[in-house]
Amino acid sequence: MARLSVQSLNALRDQLQAERAGREGKCRATVIVHMGTCGISAGARQVMTALLGALEERGIADVAVSSSGCAGMCSREPMATVQRPGEAPVKYADLDEKKIVRVLDEHVIGGSIVKEYALAMGSERAG
Amino acid sequence: MVTFEIDGQQVQVEEGEPIIKGAEKLGIKIPTLCHCEWLEPYGACRVCTVEVVMGKRHRMVTACNYPAREGLRVLTQSERAVAARRMVLEMQLARCSTVPIIQELAREHGIEKSRFGEGTETCIMCGLCVRICSELVGAHALCFGQRGTERFISTPFQREGEEGPCIACGACVDVCPTGHIWMEDLSARKGQPQDFYLGPKSAIAIPTQQAVPKAPRIDPDACIYLQTRGCSICQQVCEPEAVDLSQHDEEFEIEVGQILTTTGFQLFDPRKMSQYGYGRLDNVLTSLEFEMMLNSTGPTGGKVLMKNGQVPRAIGILHCIGSRDENHHAYCSRVCCMYAMKFAHLVKDRSDAEVYQFYIDMEAYGKGYHEFYSRILAEDVNVIRGKAAEVTEQMWGDEAEGVLHIRCEDTLVGKFRDIPVDMVVLCCAIEPQSDLGNMAHILGLTRSPDGFLLERHPKLDPIGTNTDGIYIAGTCQGPKDIPDTVAQAQAAAARILALIAKGKVLIDPIKASIDAEHCSGCRMCNSLCPYQAITFDEEEEVSVVNDTLCKGCGTCVAACPSGAIRGAGFTDNQILAELEGILI
Amino acid sequence: MAVKRLHLMVCAGTGCVSNKSMEVKAALETEIEKHGLAAEVDVIPTGCNGFCGVGPILLVQPDGIFYQQLRPRDIPHLVEEHLLKGRPVQRHLYTPPGEKGTIPLMSDIPFFHAQVLIALRNRGMIDPEKIEDYIAREGYQAAAKALTTMSPQEVLDVVKASGLRGRGGGGFPTGIKWESTKRAPSENGTRWVICNADEGDPGAFMDRSIIEGDPHSVLEGMIIGAYAIGATRGFIYVRQEYPLALKRFMIALNQARESGLLGEDILGTGFSFDIEVHRGAGAFVCGESTALMASLEGNVGEPRAKYIHTVERGLWNMPSCLNNVETWANVPPIILHGAEWFTQLGTGDVSENPWGGSKGTKVFSLAGKINNTGLVEVPMGITLREIVFDIGGGIANGKRLKSVQTGGPSGGCLPEELLDLEVDFDTLTAAGSMMGSGGMLVMDEDDCMVDFARFYIDFLMAESCGKCTPCREGLRNMNMILQRICDGKGQEGDIELLEEISACMIDAALCALGTSAPNPVLSTIKYFREEYEEHIREGKCRAGVCKALITYKVDADKCSGCTLCARACPVNAITGETKKLHVIDPNVCDRCGACYDACTFDAIIRV
Repeated sequence: MARLSVQSLNALRDQLQAERAGREGKCRATVIVHMGTCGISAGARQVMTALLGALEERGIADVAVSSSGCAGMCSREPMATVQRPGEAPVKYADLDEKKIVRVLDEHVIGGSIVKEYALAMGSERAG
Repeated sequence: MVTFEIDGQQVQVEEGEPIIKGAEKLGIKIPTLCHCEWLEPYGACRVCTVEVVMGKRHRMVTACNYPAREGLRVLTQSERAVAARRMVLEMQLARCSTVPIIQELAREHGIEKSRFGEGTETCIMCGLCVRICSELVGAHALCFGQRGTERFISTPFQREGEEGPCIACGACVDVCPTGHIWMEDLSARKGQPQDFYLGPKSAIAIPTQQAVPKAPRIDPDACIYLQTRGCSICQQVCEPEAVDLSQHDEEFEIEVGQILTTTGFQLFDPRKMSQYGYGRLDNVLTSLEFEMMLNSTGPTGGKVLMKNGQVPRAIGILHCIGSRDENHHAYCSRVCCMYAMKFAHLVKDRSDAEVYQFYIDMEAYGKGYHEFYSRILAEDVNVIRGKAAEVTEQMWGDEAEGVLHIRCEDTLVGKFRDIPVDMVVLCCAIEPQSDLGNMAHILGLTRSPDGFLLERHPKLDPIGTNTDGIYIAGTCQGPKDIPDTVAQAQAAAARILALIAKGKVLIDPIKASIDAEHCSGCRMCNSLCPYQAITFDEEEEVSVVNDTLCKGCGTCVAACPSGAIRGAGFTDNQILAELEGILI
Repeated sequence: MAVKRLHLMVCAGTGCVSNKSMEVKAALETEIEKHGLAAEVDVIPTGCNGFCGVGPILLVQPDGIFYQQLRPRDIPHLVEEHLLKGRPVQRHLYTPPGEKGTIPLMSDIPFFHAQVLIALRNRGMIDPEKIEDYIAREGYQAAAKALTTMSPQEVLDVVKASGLRGRGGGGFPTGIKWESTKRAPSENGTRWVICNADEGDPGAFMDRSIIEGDPHSVLEGMIIGAYAIGATRGFIYVRQEYPLALKRFMIALNQARESGLLGEDILGTGFSFDIEVHRGAGAFVCGESTALMASLEGNVGEPRAKYIHTVERGLWNMPSCLNNVETWANVPPIILHGAEWFTQLGTGDVSENPWGGSKGTKVFSLAGKINNTGLVEVPMGITLREIVFDIGGGIANGKRLKSVQTGGPSGGCLPEELLDLEVDFDTLTAAGSMMGSGGMLVMDEDDCMVDFARFYIDFLMAESCGKCTPCREGLRNMNMILQRICDGKGQEGDIELLEEISACMIDAALCALGTSAPNPVLSTIKYFREEYEEHIREGKCRAGVCKALITYKVDADKCSGCTLCARACPVNAITGETKKLHVIDPNVCDRCGACYDACTFDAIIRV
């Protein structure tokens, strides 16, 4: 590593912080890609890859991406759930690589729900 | 300076000095086991614990290392201080119940018996030995081993004896308050040191009681400072500041006109004749050692004593040790017979010991000497003609008693004899100093086959040498007794003074001279000149003749390969002219 | 660096590593590779999380899911369930003792919940071998702030105002120490800063955890200290028994030097400072400042009288500022956030008198008969009860608390009555114990206080340097007396004798090891005198620890003749046929208690 000055130290910190935001548990939103057998066979893997690629492209680190099992509606896979703190989770269905990027840009980052792909608001009750 | 108070009394000490310094000044005794003026304060025994009051703050400190401060109040007898000290001493007593210094201190504090048992350790862990060895002596030969209750005094890596760094200075033994450390007698292991019988000497001492000047001398081989750069206590204690350890040997160049060589002799080392047991057997002495013993200012005050302090019952005096011996020196050392008889006389005078003389021939010629020999015979000294063959410790025969046995053949009776004695004196040969050859080379002197310096002529000039202005006197020329030495020395002094009184010296006109033009600088003549008269001029790169030394012998003239040297009055032309004159 | 969706923080502290956390990490990596998740999931080895009792620990971020007691064979299932399907694996989550429900989130676990992290601010969050991780969490920002925007005096003033006191045990105000070092005359201007990482208390691992988990925080503290004091060289004295700490220090030092944070011209400010690491050879006494410095100089590690303070004449007779690891680690946040922020936590008022209170937090290592053993950082002024019951999860196996021992071997035992004591430097000292470096040992009714005192005196006896008489001989004699009491051979007056020796040691011993060594004895006598008296007068050990004072018997009513005890007995002292009453031969029995533990019918009685 090159010798640091105060300026370069600050710059390095900012860059490193952005990369590591996820570690701190500080997230502006969580995206759960449903990756049961049905989901994966319908293309959830590609959706996940596209999502992560898009995040990296945009330099966003504080969006938690998680996976979960089958959501129960195998016919509408690939599916994903977007959760923003303080808002009700939104389930999207029939996704592909392009759609998920749009969801990312408009809902996760922008804050407005992409109604065309949305399946439902809210989540199943546990228990 | 700071002023403070100990037990109500005011005292002043230098800033930074510990409380105990002030107590010393006031004559207040604060007991301590680990404090020593010469060492850095250590504060380990804690016996000197006192209570100090600074303002409202009470504190327990050790007097040996707590620096006195202005306005400090010290209580040496406060309840807390006494209680702490008592407990420390009681625990020390439990560890070392047999050590007198602890018993005594404990008793002073009202403790007769410790409640914690009666250990038999002898080391109280004061660390004085370790500290003196590293701080003062600088040998670092002692250290602590282990830690806590297992702690003990040890040597680095537990190496001892000759392997270890101990220089056997004895400082630790001296400083140990309990006798836990002692000196081991190494003489049995290393052989008897030459001057052992005369007793160990401190590194700084007045060499003899009648020394002139009567001032102490530092033995550089024994001085701790000169060996390790430690110690230097003598310098610190000497109030007139007469000790200057920074002094060292210096070389001076003094220009002189004449030199009198009186370098004396050395005694033959009797270790070379192991049959006599010197260095191996106790109470076998050289004549010089015995002479020192007989001296009233010597280590025994003139008494004849054996190593164990007892008076010997019989003494054997062996003549010709190294003299008249083809294996060592063929010559007679000339003085031994007479001093051997003097020994016999003095021993007879001072003790009841039997004296046996073993001689080859009794050399007692000259004024009053033979009379002395007759007197000795009248004093019941046993004089046995026969060179002693060996000295042993073993018993020999039934009637044997005593420690040492001298075997010899009594040539007058024609019998072998075995004589038991307590002490043996070896009359060692006088021999040239071991470095005499070196000196002879420097001065350009020659030596006779026995190694002594050669005089110019044994009869006509026994004090002069082949080099003008250099004279010899005393035993460097050959064995002789004191009257002869004095006579020769006085003669030499007269010769020197005669030359000085003259002021100007007339020299022979016949000299060699070197033609610088032709001299090639080969220096062949330099070493050839028997009078050391030719030297080499480094600047001009030619050889030069010293006119006052040159005797005009002509050796160089004949030897010079480039024919650059001419003898004054003996040039080729002159010689040819002389020849011509004879022939015509 | 690519953005990862999951960060698996595997604890690589010594506690977890010895519970095979590195194997867990390797298994994780293999499984992740197998499922093709390497691009999305990052596995990070972190420093100690403190909750060592439940290790190996895995924290999944950003979810905050806390897994405990993982074994390598659990990993394939966990990766499939959690990483692939997003379902936390219930059986590896934390379950509070005595409860059934799990607590998935780390922040909800009481052990972590009640802690306030300053010295341990980066624990579990960074890879200690990566300077980048430290920088990302505001690392070296404090040094940059101090070096560029503050004068040395201003730095000193902030530290003084913060009321930070030495975390190594003495509780000496750090600011005052720095100031004295700065003011002490030095012929050639040389001053040293030294970090005491010779943590020797049995059961204490605060410093080790900080070094292993966040070595840069110590270095940064030392840089700031050196700047304030005017030192150009620093030393870290780390004990040889901490190989991992040593390794982390060396890595951190190299990284800091490469980055221009140590050495000549730090951060381009013109200030130069470098640090050297010295390994101690494993002597408890070398934690004492003068002994440590003697050892640093290459001499035997023995203390000397401190009548001239080390801040004036310390290492090589130069002014030396020695602070403990935790103290140094506290410095950067204080500089970064200001003195006021720090003084919000803690007790008392330090604005006038630096000894007026204890500010900030303290790291304690919880050990003994407690459910949650581990390392905790709590604000000063928290009660013992909170530490033991809220954070520590109470006493294990439903036993009753008897005593809490604080301050390591030189500390003392506090009884149950003092559980509501607000913990800070001064209250603990007043109660006859001490803060020490932060060891906290919890004892229950099965612990004998006399035996406990004997144990610590035994330890101290082995660790005393032996230089001064009161400590060397005092410990030897105390040990002898305590041993005799434990053996049932105690005599009337032994307690008073112990007190007498203690008084002598407190007054006359050379260093703090000696003067504080009687604490375990004095505090147990003070609070548990009746136990001593029982041992001496009645020959009874109520906890059943002192073997000479107990016998094991079989309760004839309860014994079912199962032979379990007979099989457990190592010396064959128990005889009896199947389904018949068993008998213990007291002459053969060596009182090991194996039968007592083995019996499932409570038929073995300890008298």
